[in-house]
Amino acid sequence: MKKKGTRIRDISVMIAGIAGDGVLFTGNILARILKRQGWWVYTYRDFPSNIRGEPTNYTIRASLDRVQSRADEIDVFMAFDCGAIIDHADKMAEGGLLLCDGVGLSRSTPAQKKKRTYHIFPLRKLARENFKSEIYKNMIALGALAYILDLDFGVIEKLISEAFLKKKGKEVVEKNIRAIRLGCQQAEKIVEPEELHPLVERKEAGRLLLSGNDAVALGALAGGCRFFAAYPICPATEIWQWLARYLPGYNGLVVQTEDELAALNMALGAAYAGARAMTSTSGPGGSLMMEAFGLAGMTEIPVVVAHVQRVGPSTGIPTKTEQSDLNQWVCGSHGEFPRIVLSPGTVEECFGFTIKAFNLAEKYQCPVVLLTEQDFGQNLFTVKRFDWNEVEIDRGKLLSQEELDGIKDYRRYELTADGISPRALPGMKNGLHMVESNEHDVRGYRDEDPENRVRMMRKRMNKLKSAARDSIPPKVWGEREAKTGIIGFGSTFGPIREALSQLRDKGIRAKYLQMRTLWPFPVKKAGEFISSCDAVYIVENNYSGQLSRLVQSQLRIPARIQIKNILNYSSLAFRPREISTEIQRTL
Amino acid sequence: MRREKDYHLSDPTWCPGCGIYGLFAALKMAAGDLDLGPEETVIVTGIGCHGRLNNHFRSYGFHALHGRTLPLASGIKLANPRLSVLSISGDGDAYSIGVGHFIHALRKNIDITYLVVDNRIYALTQGQASPTTPLGHVSISAPFGTKELPLDGPRLALASGGTFIARGFSGQPQKLAALIKKGIQHKGFSFIEVLSPCVTHNKIISAQWFKEHISPLDEDPGYDPRDRKQAGEKLIKEDKIPVGLIYAEERATYGELVLPESDHPLVGNDLDLDVKKFEGILEEFQ
Repeated sequence: MKKKGTRIRDISVMIAGIAGDGVLFTGNILARILKRQGWWVYTYRDFPSNIRGEPTNYTIRASLDRVQSRADEIDVFMAFDCGAIIDHADKMAEGGLLLCDGVGLSRSTPAQKKKRTYHIFPLRKLARENFKSEIYKNMIALGALAYILDLDFGVIEKLISEAFLKKKGKEVVEKNIRAIRLGCQQAEKIVEPEELHPLVERKEAGRLLLSGNDAVALGALAGGCRFFAAYPICPATEIWQWLARYLPGYNGLVVQTEDELAALNMALGAAYAGARAMTSTSGPGGSLMMEAFGLAGMTEIPVVVAHVQRVGPSTGIPTKTEQSDLNQWVCGSHGEFPRIVLSPGTVEECFGFTIKAFNLAEKYQCPVVLLTEQDFGQNLFTVKRFDWNEVEIDRGKLLSQEELDGIKDYRRYELTADGISPRALPGMKNGLHMVESNEHDVRGYRDEDPENRVRMMRKRMNKLKSAARDSIPPKVWGEREAKTGIIGFGSTFGPIREALSQLRDKGIRAKYLQMRTLWPFPVKKAGEFISSCDAVYIVENNYSGQLSRLVQSQLRIPARIQIKNILNYSSLAFRPREISTEIQRTL
Repeated sequence: MRREKDYHLSDPTWCPGCGIYGLFAALKMAAGDLDLGPEETVIVTGIGCHGRLNNHFRSYGFHALHGRTLPLASGIKLANPRLSVLSISGDGDAYSIGVGHFIHALRKNIDITYLVVDNRIYALTQGQASPTTPLGHVSISAPFGTKELPLDGPRLALASGGTFIARGFSGQPQKLAALIKKGIQHKGFSFIEVLSPCVTHNKIISAQWFKEHISPLDEDPGYDPRDRKQAGEKLIKEDKIPVGLIYAEERATYGELVLPESDHPLVGNDLDLDVKKFEGILEEFQ
């Protein structure tokens, strides 16, 4: 329970309503205000995959320390309707404050009983009476929240001006600011001083607020991606929308294709011609790309696929998170071919790994998958400014015309010690060759001879040996000497790190292995980590424990070490407490 | 000046009498006439008997996935517009598994040449019915005859916004070469269907059958391939198969619309990061 009268260092605010209410817009503005006031922010959206009419909620977590997961409880709850309360009131923290537009709950709600305060706050009525339009309820709500959290009005007014001035004009800006002030005054009348949640004052720290999808797009641009082809799909489309705005300024191109089959094939065509090329997708789009994924492996063309996982199978739940496509990208497509699968755990890593993905693709001449999740893709995070020193472009064995001129009898798939052959591009002199989706010889011509088949399989697969050494190693967090281990990949990073500190508070020492490359599997580092534990919990957002199976298929694990899975396939991201209590319960 | 033989890399091994020999000859003639640089030319083929063609043609070659030649060829052309890009498909490749790509390539009008070898059968897989197999045709996949209407590629192309629609016959390589040459010269997506008999799996639709059923458009003095309405009427008539240039129009290509700096293909970009410019972009994430 938060102590009254003291300023707060960690808060979770939920805004909930019906899709179309403006929950996302209001939440995004609040997140940005908090970021600009120097807070670390993490937003969590729980949206249906339609535009209007179904319940939706948006939680803003803000802390003085870096946060990257959902809070275990809600401190302040702004409900645009009563249905939202029924869905989420049980998540209210003790001492929590709830404002709801409308009457619908009796005074004896569970939320009331346990030191939680509930006020009716007539948002729509206020909006109608003062502005003749219900749309202003969002800014009235924002004003009330600003009062409750004691936010800086200077920051708010500047943001509102940025949001509306160019698109809607001065009058709209002023009207919105008036609505915010009204919300603030009304909240002052209703909310008792001891119910307030005033935040510790902080100064803007020059950080950025962006989503994983934003960071992937930025990483692609910085990493030299100049060709992007995709088909619209939730929750990956932001990558494309962003690149569509900026790639033309870099003499690059974004193409909307008729489907995902075309998207990856077109990216492959551009990559074969010499561009750094990429596509992004999710769910069923990934399934359609499997065919061309194998083509990239067979023909040794460097291409990057950013796959933002959503709930599957089939259409699944398009706007919610899961980690159930690991198997698909690590094992998928027919036949066997080298591929690299990266899994960033932070937004900074989304940026850095995307750059790395292009370098690995060109160095090892194979497809590279950047596997993220909806939780990453569409939620906002405060991040430090990017380190430009990280940005380097390595085009591997791509030949210059001069180098190619010096080669007598060029062979595209020349056998080499590391399996990687010097690459000529169409349009180059002295580099004529064939690229074959069939099995082929060193010149690229179809060859079904069994001995050639063995040679070429070995050549391609051998590339992974050097890629394994060059890829991104897993990272260990927490207490190195601990005997309890946690393994996870991707967006479980935030909740697992927070669960580690919750366990520490309970006197349980634990450590965490963050898998950053899923394939080629980091056998040595993962093996060392597991060997140093007595019990290992593998935490993932899926039903069958795909990472757990991968780990157990790649390592020989001594019987003394217990492997347990903590799985969440509810479509929601983990709350840290779900992980820490499960470990406490079963250890 | 290059000649036909300069593109002949090796001797193909299609069945004796296969129509694809005629296409191979026509393609070499057209390339020679245009003096195409083998190193500035890419031929993308699909899966089917035609797929081997670029194994024997001197240029860069890409043997792609079944049905996926068009997106791949489009990516190559957009990344490096200096290349001459040709895509070759069979009727199964183009009109069945890849038909979605065909329609959208026509809409986009990307500057590539698309040759569809139509033998009215799946030949490489031993003779199943294809989308152009006539109604009632008996084959191993349809022992009681096909029940589906055949698809007309040029008709589909006209409806989908094609800017160069032609049909040739592999039995007339000179005429076919002239059409291919025009197609390559056409600014935009040029589509040429090539009637081509399969001597092994389609005994009914033979070279002789094609000869009897085609009607050359250039023998009709009143026919104007720039007239869309006339083209439509010609294609709807069921009695004969029109061959020749069916329809052509000038329309901005996709590349012209989206690549402002066409003199600098995007494959030639300097990829070093301009940090100052990039920092400017980051402002929106404040």
